[in-house]
Parts: sequence; C-alpha cells; structure tokens
Amino acid sequence: MANLSPAPILGGYDKSLPDVRLIERSGLALVSLAIPLGGEAAATQAIRAAFGLDLPAPGMSAAGKAHRLIRTGPDQALLMFDNNTANAQPAVRAALNGACYTTMQTDAWVVLAVSGPGTRRALERICPLDLHDSAFAVDAAGRTVMEHMSALILREGDDSFLLLSASSSARSFLHAVETSITHTS
Amino acid sequence: MIIDHPLLGPRDAAEFVYKGDAALIDRPDWQAEDAADKFHEYMYLRDNVAGEMAELWYHEHGDRSWLVVTRNTLTHKITSVELARDVARRRGRGK
Amino acid sequence: MTRPNRLNPGLTDRARPLNFSFNGRNMMGYQGDTLASALLANGQRLIARSFKYHRPRGVFSAGSEEPNALVQLRRGAALEPNTRATVAELFDGLHATSQNHRGSLEFDIMAVNDLLAPFLSAGFYYKTFMWPKAFWEKLYEPVIRASAGLGRLSLQPDPDVYDHGYLHCDLLVIGAGPAGLSAALAAGRAKARVIVADEDFRPGGRLNSETYEVDAIPGHDWAARAWAELLAMDNVRCMTRTSVFGAFDHGIFGALERRTDHLANSGGKPRQVLWRIYSRRSVLCAGATERPIAFANNDRPGVMLAGAVRAYSNRFGVTPGQRVAVFTNNDDGRRTAADLSALGVAVTGIVDTRLDEFIVDTTGRKELKTVLTNAGRRIEADCLAVSGGWSPNVHLTCHQRGRPTWRDDIAAFVPGPDLPPGMAVAGAANGAMTLAAALAEGRAAANAAVRDLGFAPSRKPVPRAEDEAFDIKPFWHVKGHKRAWVDLQNDVTAKDIRQSHLEGFRAVEHLKRYTTLGMATDQGKTANVLGLALMAEASGKTIPETGTTIFRPPCTPVPIGAFAGRARGRDFRPVRRTPSHAWAQENGADFVETGIWLRAQWFRHPGEKGWRDSVDREVTQTRRSVGICDVTTLGKIDVQGRDAAEFLNKIYANAFAGLPVGKVRYGLMLREDGICHDDGTTARLGETHFVMTTTTANAATVFRNMEFARQCLWPDLDVHLISTTDAWAQFAVAGPNARALLAKVVDDLDLSNAAFPFMACAECTVCGGTPARLFRISFSGELAYEIAVPARYGDAMIRALMAAGKEFAVVPYGTEALGVMRIEKGHAAGNELNGQTTAAQLGLGRMVSKKKDGIGSTLSERPEMNRDDDLRLVGFQPVDPSDALNAGAHFIEINDETPDMHSDLGWMTSVAHSPELGHSIGLGFLKRGADRMGDILRAYDPVRGKDTRVRVVATHHIDPEGERQRG
Repeated sequence: MANLSPAPILGGYDKSLPDVRLIERSGLALVSLAIPLGGEAAATQAIRAAFGLDLPAPGMSAAGKAHRLIRTGPDQALLMFDNNTANAQPAVRAALNGACYTTMQTDAWVVLAVSGPGTRRALERICPLDLHDSAFAVDAAGRTVMEHMSALILREGDDSFLLLSASSSARSFLHAVETSITHTS
Repeated sequence: MIIDHPLLGPRDAAEFVYKGDAALIDRPDWQAEDAADKFHEYMYLRDNVAGEMAELWYHEHGDRSWLVVTRNTLTHKITSVELARDVARRRGRGK
Repeated sequence: MTRPNRLNPGLTDRARPLNFSFNGRNMMGYQGDTLASALLANGQRLIARSFKYHRPRGVFSAGSEEPNALVQLRRGAALEPNTRATVAELFDGLHATSQNHRGSLEFDIMAVNDLLAPFLSAGFYYKTFMWPKAFWEKLYEPVIRASAGLGRLSLQPDPDVYDHGYLHCDLLVIGAGPAGLSAALAAGRAKARVIVADEDFRPGGRLNSETYEVDAIPGHDWAARAWAELLAMDNVRCMTRTSVFGAFDHGIFGALERRTDHLANSGGKPRQVLWRIYSRRSVLCAGATERPIAFANNDRPGVMLAGAVRAYSNRFGVTPGQRVAVFTNNDDGRRTAADLSALGVAVTGIVDTRLDEFIVDTTGRKELKTVLTNAGRRIEADCLAVSGGWSPNVHLTCHQRGRPTWRDDIAAFVPGPDLPPGMAVAGAANGAMTLAAALAEGRAAANAAVRDLGFAPSRKPVPRAEDEAFDIKPFWHVKGHKRAWVDLQNDVTAKDIRQSHLEGFRAVEHLKRYTTLGMATDQGKTANVLGLALMAEASGKTIPETGTTIFRPPCTPVPIGAFAGRARGRDFRPVRRTPSHAWAQENGADFVETGIWLRAQWFRHPGEKGWRDSVDREVTQTRRSVGICDVTTLGKIDVQGRDAAEFLNKIYANAFAGLPVGKVRYGLMLREDGICHDDGTTARLGETHFVMTTTTANAATVFRNMEFARQCLWPDLDVHLISTTDAWAQFAVAGPNARALLAKVVDDLDLSNAAFPFMACAECTVCGGTPARLFRISFSGELAYEIAVPARYGDAMIRALMAAGKEFAVVPYGTEALGVMRIEKGHAAGNELNGQTTAAQLGLGRMVSKKKDGIGSTLSERPEMNRDDDLRLVGFQPVDPSDALNAGAHFIEINDETPDMHSDLGWMTSVAHSPELGHSIGLGFLKRGADRMGDILRAYDPVRGKDTRVRVVATHHIDPEGERQRG
C-alpha cells in the first residue's frame, strides 16, 4: 500500500486582516506528559535533561530552543515542538525513559496562531480569561471554554497567542475566532 | 460566580461542573458488615444546608481538578477552595 | 420648516443636520439629538397611545426611565418595536412610527377604552372575563390582546448580529455623571484598571442637563474634559451607550453596549454586545430618577418631569413648550423656571406644594392647554414641568437580596447596608443629591476601593463645585375623584391602588401583581415610589413599613437577541466532524446529529428509493462480504499508571486486573446506585497502559467520573487519564472479508485467527509505516476489527481501506446500518442503557463481580434490583412477518383486553428491519422475560394506533453462538 499522507485539519488556513493575522499552525507535535505519583523529582530531572526545560508552574508554559512545555494540570504537562511525523510520541517516550507516561496528542488539537495589534480586542469576545499583562504575561497558558468549546490559550508574545481546541470541532472553533476578529476589525 | 482555584486563581464558574456535597468523598468500606446501609446513606441521604457547605466542583474546562469549595448557599460567599485530592487524603483516603 | 421649539444648539451639532421621519412626516434634527428631542423640536407632542386606555401620550422624561414615548424604529425585518424615543439616538434617515393604535395616532379608535375606564380598573381581567368559561380562549383573550399592548414584531428573522464578550477590571464605575467621572478620574490616576460605563451616548449625566459649573467652567465642558482625560489613560476603558443591567455574584456585572443602534447601517458589525464584566470592586454612580406627583389628568402630552424639561432646554436647546408651568414639592422645580426664563421661554406659573397650592385638574385632549389649582388659579400652559422629588437608582444594589432604606430628609429610598460584595455607592444613587457632594463621594469611594486593592490613591483634589439648594417636602398626590396616573405605561391610577388596598391586596408584591404597577417595560422607574406612598397612605403605614418589591436583573430592558448573541441557526452549538467527513460527503452520505457529532447515517446510491434501500444494502453487503464504518465518535480514554489495572477494576463492574497485555475486554460501568451507566471495551496495550472506549454520548461524563474516582476516592493510586477521542481516527471493518481486506493495509502483523484471535489488540503500522492500533472487536457480530490511526491520517486511511476493499465490493455503512446489526446481534445501546436499567435486566447480572470493590457493586446487590420477576432484555419477532414492530410499544398478555398499568409487562426499546431475516425484529424489556421464550404477546401502541402480535425470542437474532465473530 502507498504511504498515508497527513492532512492539516483546516487545510493550512492563513488569513490576514488589517491588524490581525490568523493561521492554522500545523506541523506541531503535541505529547502529553503525566507525572507518576511520587515520581515528581525524577520527572522534573528527566524533562530538564531531555529538553532543557523546567516544569513550569500551573498556568504557565516554558519555552526552550525547540520545545515548549505547558503545564496543563497538577500532574500533567503538554510538550509542543515542531515535528510533522507520526513518531513524535515514541521519541519523547524514549527520551524520558519512563520518567513520565506519554500520550500522543498531536491529532487531538487544532492549533490557531492569532497575532497583531487587534488580537486582544478580538479575543475579548470569546475568551473569559483576563489577558491583561498583569494577569496573563508572555508564556502564560490556561485552559478555558470559548463558545462552548474547551480551549487552551497560550501567550507567545506581546500580541501573539496560540489557541488550541478539539480537532473534531476545529471548523466551529475557527469560525468562532474568525467571527470575533471580523466583529472587532 | 467565581471560584478561586488554588492553583490557577479566579475562574468563572462556567468552566466548572457541579457535583454536590463533598461528603461524597467519604465512600463507605464495601466489606463492612453494614456496607449496604452505609452505601444507602452515602448515596441518598444528604443535608440540605442553608448556609456554609462543602461542595465538589470539577474544573472540566480547565485543569480537570476536582475541588472542594466551601460556599454559603444563601449568599454564595466562598470561604475556601482546596484540591479535592488533598481533602480526600486528609480524610484518610488512599488506594 | 420652522421649528419654534428649537432655542439654541445646546450640545447638538448644528453643522450636522439629520433628516428623519415620524409617521411618514419628514423632519429634521441635529447630531446629538435623541428622537424625543428632535420630535419636540419639530412640535410633535403626541407620540404614543397608552397601554390600556389608549390615551394620547407625549414625551415624559429624557432618559431610560421613559414610560410613554415608545415608538417603532426602522422597518421591514429590522423593525424594532417598543423603543424609548428618549434614548434613541437620532441618525440620518431614521424611520420612526408610533404604535399601539388602530387608525391613526391622532384618531385611535381604541380610545373608546378610555370611556370604558370604569370597567377596566385593577383586576378587571380577573373579574370581568370569568364567565362563560369557554369565552376566554375564543373571545376575551384575542380581543384583549389585540387592543391592549405595545408594538408589533416584524415576525421576520432579526437581520442584525449580536455578540458577547468578557471584560476585566479592578474597578467598575457605573455611570459617568459627576460622581462617576470623579470616581473614574481618581481610580484612573491611581493606575488601577478601570472600566467606566454610561448608558448615554454623551458622558456627563445631569451635568449636560443643568447649568452647574465645575472647576469654574460649565459642567458639560468639565465632563467633556474629564472624559478626554480618561480616554487618554490606557488603564481606563471608557464605554458610552453601555447599560450595566445586573449585579451578579462575586463582582460580575452584565452590561449591554449598543454598538450600531445609532447608525443607519451597522456594516455587518454586531448591533449590540452583551458584556460580562469581572470587577474586583465597583462604584455605583447611577444617579437618581425624578418622579411625578399624581393629580387629575396628569398624563396629557405636555406634562413632563421637570428635570426632563431642563434636559431638553439646556442640553438639546429645545423647549418642550411655549408656555411652561411648574408643579413641584422641592427646589428643583424652581430651578426649572429659572433656566427656562434665562432661555427666554415664558413661564406661566409655579405651583409649589410647600406653599399649599397644588394642581387639581388639567385640560387639553391631545396636548396640554391649562392647569387648574386648588387656589382657583387657571394657568395657560402647553407644558407642565412636574417634580415630586428624586429616587436614587438603587436597583443594582438590590440584585443580591439587598433592601433599600428610607431617608426622610430626601423623601427617598437609598441603598441599604447589604450591598453586593465589593460595591460602593456614590452621588445621587447614594442619596447625595447635590453636585459638590456627588463629586466628593465619587472620589472618596474610588480612592477607598483602589487603596483596598493596594494602589496609592491620587492626591489630586476633588473638583470644585457648589451644592445647589435641595429642599423637599414630600407630597405624593392630589386627592380627587378624577383619574390621577401613577404608572403611566401600564395605566395604573391612584384609584387602582386604593382599590387594591380595599380588596385586600396590600402587601407590595400583591399590589404590584394585582394592579400591574411597575410591571411594564419601564419597570415603574418613575411610578413605584409614588405607588408605595399611596399604598402607605391607604393603609395608615409609613413608606418604609410598606416596603419595596424585590429588584431583579435586568434593571433596564435587554433584547433577547443580545442574550442569544451568536447562538443562532447553525451557530447555536459547535459541530464535531469525524475524520472521514469529507470523504463521506463525496460518497453520498446523509448525516445525522448524534449529540454535537455529525455522523454518516447512510450512503445513498443512485436509484435507491429511500433510506431503507441504502441501509438494507449496507447491512447485507457487510454481512456478505465486508463493510466499513467510522466509529471515531466513541469516547477514548488513555489510562496509564502503575495502578491503572487496579483502577479499572474499581471503575468497571467486571474484573479487569487480570486482563493480559494484547487483549481487549468488554466492560460494564455502573453508577454508584447500581444502575448501568455505560459500556465499552478496554484494551491493554502494556503493563501500565490501557485504552478505554466509552459510548459516544457518555464520553464526557465517564471521563469526569473517572477523574472523581482518581482524585477523590483513591487519591494514592498512580493512574493518569487523558482523552484521546479526537486524537485517533477509528474505523470498524466488519464482515467475512474483513481479515483479507485488513491484511492488505496492515504491515507485518499476523492476522490469522490463531495469532490474532477475537478480542486481541496490537499496536502496529499500516500502509508502510503509519502508526496504528488494531482491535479485534465486533459490534456487528461479524468477523470484525477496529483500526485506529492518528486523526490527521484518517482521511487517507478511509480512502486506503476503500481502495483495498474494492476487490471485495466493500461498502461504507452508516449509523443506521450499525444500529440494525447491533439489534440483530442483540447488543444493548442507548435505548436500553437509559439510566433506569440494571445489569440483571440487561442479562449481564453475572458480570458484576462480587469479589472486588467496584463503583456501584454494593448497591447493585439490593434485592429489589435482582428480583426474578423483574424486566429482562429479550428479543421480539412479529408473528406475522409482514408486521413492522414499533419501539415504544408496551407488552400485554395476548388475552388481556384492558391495557393499563396493571397489565403492562414491559416495552419495546429498539426495532429494526433485518435484511437477513427479511422481517422486523425488536429488543425490549419484558417481565420474567427469560422464562417466556416462544410466548406470544400483544405489542400495544396506542400512540401510533398499532397492536401487533409478537413472539418472544432470544436477544441474538442471528448467529447466537457467535461463530462469525470468532471465525
């Protein structure tokens, strides 16, 4: 049989409006790390050794050279890095050598990158979280609900955010974000 | 309402799912002599508190933590929020 | 056209004239006008007809409290009835019409109701239309509905869009009058994050309508400068046209921002935005609302609140009349006369109750002509400015059960001690009725709030202003026999309130419901205190003893469209699509909503006459060769950890700890009360790694319950959960050729029955290296597998499977064929797992392990849930194979003539047409079902008028020994 080729969920969506750019960030691997009970120290050490990152505090992410680690729960984190193959999770599992349980999550999420000076004004229409500098600094990350869809929002820069939501409802999520941008542009 | 998550700070109650009395943590011992009676009480007999009550809330659109929220059912004033896992351990739950 | 009422530009912009029409008459106003001010400038005094009596009515106020001047704006689908002309901002091309009349506004034939007034007093519905009973629906109600009421809806879909949003601040300042501006300036200068919201399009509140000075400049100029300073602060968000309508728990406020209502064309942008504002502290600076005095015929066009007369003349440069009289019980009324005289308007008389003079009647049908006083004075007036004092706008202080308290010195209710947490009140809303006091209170409240939050308050002094004279002597109504209006919008008179008292409806909440006082769209903002005063007087109590009704949000009308926001039509809720959605669309799928998932229901082929043709073909071909179905929607949960097996042992009713790696087991989940919750299969991929599936419907609740068990019940188990539903595209491949088909796509895995038997599972690759998971499980009863690949390969996978299956004439099948095959096979699904059924009823009683502790196992042993004479799931076939069965039919004995609760033996849960058997089949719950194999019963269905003879059979309609799935 011929090899299967992957398809980006939103077909590589990319749209620029006067002061907001919205793109589908495809090609990102997402691997969930679960920290074994009683294995926090070992997990922290293994993560540092493998990716050069400290486990961030709840509500935060940490960015290294090639990886970003998002704390998603008390005993859970999400590792994000550029890798478009289906073998990202086995590689992470091997690198951590049992210090964390790993789960492939690349395909569970759609990742939208929204940036530009109009970004926060648009996000006000769907995001219940306070995105002000004092409450949501660069590298902050939080899960919440937008237009009835669970979402993870991460601040990459002053005016740039990543929005993650379930891949099965990716079109509805894109529509919600697009609508917020057009309503405020 | 706003629930002040012990790890994540204030979050809108819309991110949470409500379960009920935190006494649901105290699941009876299935091997006890009176297990059937105890489970009956556990399942069906609840106090309907007009005042401060410890409740279970689940951060479904968040970090998936179960929380014990102490809330006044008359005023909605919340006096404490803890991770339910910590509360459960304190109440003697383990494996 | 001359507009004799236009005195000067006021705060309107003469350089920007605006054309508009009212009832087809073309008129002109200016930028900065409201519809009401522009109508008054054009001499239009008659604007509406009253709710019940169809009395002529004109503009009464200059704000959101307006009871009279309700009009319809725009036309066609955009028609908006019941809009207050006093808050409708004028724009070029505005099309306005009056409402609630038959015939013209001037000659409303329904005005005959006014002559019938003696029969239409409080409670008249309850008394008059009691008999004969049958007349209510057919005659009385339609007539009442046609004659009483407000505007009419367009009955077309709303063409506008609406939105929601979320805002956060340290301090929310509600109102941008003197107190609000002072508060916002103080908090803004202290660098707190501030939101200041005002319902008007021009900030300043009463400063725009009075002739006060602040910091030695005109008050409206000071307000404009203050606003400019606030706009320049990046820590302050300034919101005009924004009504804060509700104070909710923990500092959350609801606010409606009107974004494009003042524009002729919205440009596709949301008309209104409903904001949820999260505040740490709030200062309510909502000001006060003036109230009238009740006297005979006090509802004629031209009778207005005194503050409104000053607003029209000072702010809009429009006098509401050429000969204005004043009727007051306080100093404000006197200021009205002074302001008008300064503008050159004739003031024809001042009637001050403090001097024991009051108005006993008025004349003028469609506009006021004269007023008569008890002193025998007859004053010519086309406008009467009335002031009965001011009521602080306490509504938002009461949204969390707070009760206002009465202050005799200002004859008004002020906020009580139980304010919503975090809220302070300042200015007129707090009973500080004079300017300097309002400015000082606003600043003090904001400084206290920001200090509390850790900011250093600004040292800038409070703006300088003087306290105007404010003396009031309560005077509520002029006694007399003629009708004196209390609630103008609902046509409630002083007599109605007396009558309510006489008939025993004395508690304020009863008074409200019996007379409808305060129940109109204005919520009695100008009427309530007056009504309470009248009730107090009738019952010999004080006003505070009489009390107030409870204030509930919203305190100002909010359109339903704004609450709905975007949630309309297809945007009502999100849609989830399976990875093969695009492929299914290309191949003729009809989709069905299962929860929020869209799933292929069947695949229509050319020439097929109906869905049954498609479904029968899909089932037949699957059972004959091979079929493929997207089953991605089933919930998938990754369960990992040292104690994962032990954890699953507790979650499922049956044992899981001993499941070997590489095997799948069917699991039954109970609720703690012993009732079945969900079922599915769980595969063990490694010592510490399981993959669970749940039903599509229960995916979220099962995950939630498992997290509860993990965190709250057994917190020391090392187990971790993560949903992988969306991560994997999963396809069922079923039928005798399933193995042969899969052998073509699966790399290097021995699929022989010996190497990969029924209930085996493995991680593998497909199509030359794509990671996959293969499970040998069967819902259809055939030799079947489920193959999962990362979701982004799902589209490629379905195409590869279909290509590989071509030589077997593979068919895709939808949810309907899936359902047919599971009924043929006797598997329980949602119709059977309906939240009321036990494991015993499903025939799975022996699965519930008694050797271990599992959720629900203890309570599932209760005797009542294990009775031998209880319902059991069994199969049914029609005695006459040409009969079609019906789900929902109830079973009764064949000789039972009287179907009722006592003869009821159970019900049919699922039915399908079995292409293999060639007739209808069913599953259902039947009392003592297991003992009744072969019996014939009646399946009685009075709802559909059917009564069918059925034979009780085993649930497995086909392949009872399971040879196919094991083959």
